[in-house]
Amino acid sequence: MGLLDTEAGKRRLLSVDLPVIEKYNEGRDLEFRIRIQKVGSTLVLCYNLKPGHNVYSIETRLLSSYPTVPPETRIQTLLKHCPHLLEGQTLCLWRQGSTRTSNRWDPAKFTCIFAVQAAWRWLACYEIWHDTGEWPLPEAK
Amino acid sequence: MDFRPLNELERRHLITALRGNADGNRVLLMDRKDTSFAGSAEEVPDEEVINAIKSVPCHY
Repeated sequence: MGLLDTEAGKRRLLSVDLPVIEKYNEGRDLEFRIRIQKVGSTLVLCYNLKPGHNVYSIETRLLSSYPTVPPETRIQTLLKHCPHLLEGQTLCLWRQGSTRTSNRWDPAKFTCIFAVQAAWRWLACYEIWHDTGEWPLPEAK
Repeated sequence: MDFRPLNELERRHLITALRGNADGNRVLLMDRKDTSFAGSAEEVPDEEVINAIKSVPCHY
């Protein structure tokens, strides 16, 4: 399914993802709202998160194969090298490339806001790792 | 980035909340204005659903 070039993709955006983004932005400080950019066939959500005292700039990409393929989230703010961080400061969230059964992204259940929340939790873990050198959560099985 | 660390109490609260969340029995609450950590809870008030992080089935 092409997110921007098929009826099913557009319907998904209009009925699921755009309404939850609007809901997420309601009452939120301007700096922390999600802004949407179109880059080719990809939609890019640009936003800031502050799980502790530090503000991180983030991009979550909804590729043309979204929601079948999970969103890709990259931290724009320079981080120290740490566990669960892939090349290009992409977060290791969903076991991209693994089999459908072991993939933790479920397109029928999750929206792009779920990816934003996953990034928040990842950054909260990073803040603790930065101070203690230990990732506070065990790796999921 | 000029990193500002959590103090000991903040760090302990956050670790407890993250582990409770990973165990599936607590939701993390995100401040609706600036996304800062706003504690954890067992139940999510309806109006806070969008700001509540249930157990996120992530890889890590």
